[in-house]
Amino acid sequence: MIDFLVKNGRTGLEFCSTVGRSGIFLLHCVLGLSWNLKGLKLLSRQMYNVGVLSLVIIIVSGLFIGMVLGLQGYSILIDYGSEQAIGQMVALTLVRELGPVVTALLFAGRAGSALTAEIGLMKATEQLSSMEMMGVDPLKRVIAPRLWAGFLSMPLLAAIFSMVGIFGGMLVGVDWLGVYEGSFWANMQSSVEFREDILNGVIKSIVFGLVCTWIAVFQGYDSVPTSEGISVATTKTVVYSSLAVLGLDFILTAVMFSSF
Amino acid sequence: MTAIMGPSGTGKTTLLRLIGGQLKPERGEILLDGQDVSKFKRKALFDARKKMGMLFQSGALFSDLSVYENVAFPLREHTNLSEEIIRDIVYMKLQAVGLRGARDLMPAELSGGMTRRVALARTIALDPELLLYDEPFAGQDPIAMGVLVQLIRLLNDALDLTSVLVSHDINESLSICDHAVILADGVVIGEGAPADLKKSESPLVRQFLNGLPDGPVPFHYPASDYQSDLIDQ
Repeated sequence: MIDFLVKNGRTGLEFCSTVGRSGIFLLHCVLGLSWNLKGLKLLSRQMYNVGVLSLVIIIVSGLFIGMVLGLQGYSILIDYGSEQAIGQMVALTLVRELGPVVTALLFAGRAGSALTAEIGLMKATEQLSSMEMMGVDPLKRVIAPRLWAGFLSMPLLAAIFSMVGIFGGMLVGVDWLGVYEGSFWANMQSSVEFREDILNGVIKSIVFGLVCTWIAVFQGYDSVPTSEGISVATTKTVVYSSLAVLGLDFILTAVMFSSF
Repeated sequence: MTAIMGPSGTGKTTLLRLIGGQLKPERGEILLDGQDVSKFKRKALFDARKKMGMLFQSGALFSDLSVYENVAFPLREHTNLSEEIIRDIVYMKLQAVGLRGARDLMPAELSGGMTRRVALARTIALDPELLLYDEPFAGQDPIAMGVLVQLIRLLNDALDLTSVLVSHDINESLSICDHAVILADGVVIGEGAPADLKKSESPLVRQFLNGLPDGPVPFHYPASDYQSDLIDQ
């Protein structure tokens, strides 16, 4: 009985101390990016690694998800004779929900795990230690650019995802299934509000970007510097990011889109 | 030049990390130039580290930068020197370790010995006053070992440095150091000039220096009686 309490108590305390450590870590990193030429060069390099290299998966996924939305939406709406609303349906689904969420999940899987593995390996091969011993703060030089690159890339990637998805929906709806193009775009224009839908979607993607990148970078920095430790850390990144994104999505949707 | 030696796990690397301020001691103090390193705040610590250089066991070169960029890293971070001057300094440091021709290679293309020499060049890039070496001779072939031994001593004399060397390799370490300290179980069991240590009467020191498999540090890990372990199932 006592052992049970001790074990669970220790787990709880470790959890609290990890959360605290990650909070202080986030603070140091966010404040640590130097907004001068050198810092911006590091930042742009990381934006390439984190954002540009994720474009392929985001665009391809966006296209296919948009096309599937078009197909499924059409098959349901045609029963009510309102297949003209397909544009509105695809756009709202993507902009409000699927854009931010699916992009965040893909981002966590592709860029998040890459960040964790890279930082974990730098820790395991003592590169971070040697940087510290040279008087260069690794939080400022290595981690902060990657964190900011994630913050800035995620909203952009989510926007690109939604855009490509709407295009995919148009390909299926208009070119294939024969919905009238005029009503496709007109319905979309009249029902998608800038503040309620698009801006809320952007806020969601900013929050998801912060959470996914923070988890990825912290797990790498905190990993046990062995090969097993890095594999555990990478798995944790993907799992925790995904759960956090889905949980936060529910909370944000409830706050933004419900009627109370 | 001081060599710190001792059996595995006595805390030699921990001692180096304490000197460098990466770990904080629970008791006692570490005096660097008369000031206690363990009391330094973040900024003071980073300033002190500019005067220190640490050579890690694995070299710890940055894998995404070339040899030239690795050696230029501390110069670019801590100074405002122009590219021409940085180029000259990097070439000089690489020439000192004999690897000026390898300046455009990536760390993945270097052999173990070469990696360590490049790391050494990077460590002396800012001309530090204190050099810390963590197991520099571990796993090196005889030629690479000879090169490193000579380099470490030469650099110490030519640049008028203080060096602290943590190593298991008794012959190499004692051949170049001025003062040696042997640690065991968290205590100093012998210290002095190499010649004096070799004449020491302490059984622990004798076991360590002569590489005797059994003695005060036992061969067998504590276990129950052998006969009862084998026969009683």
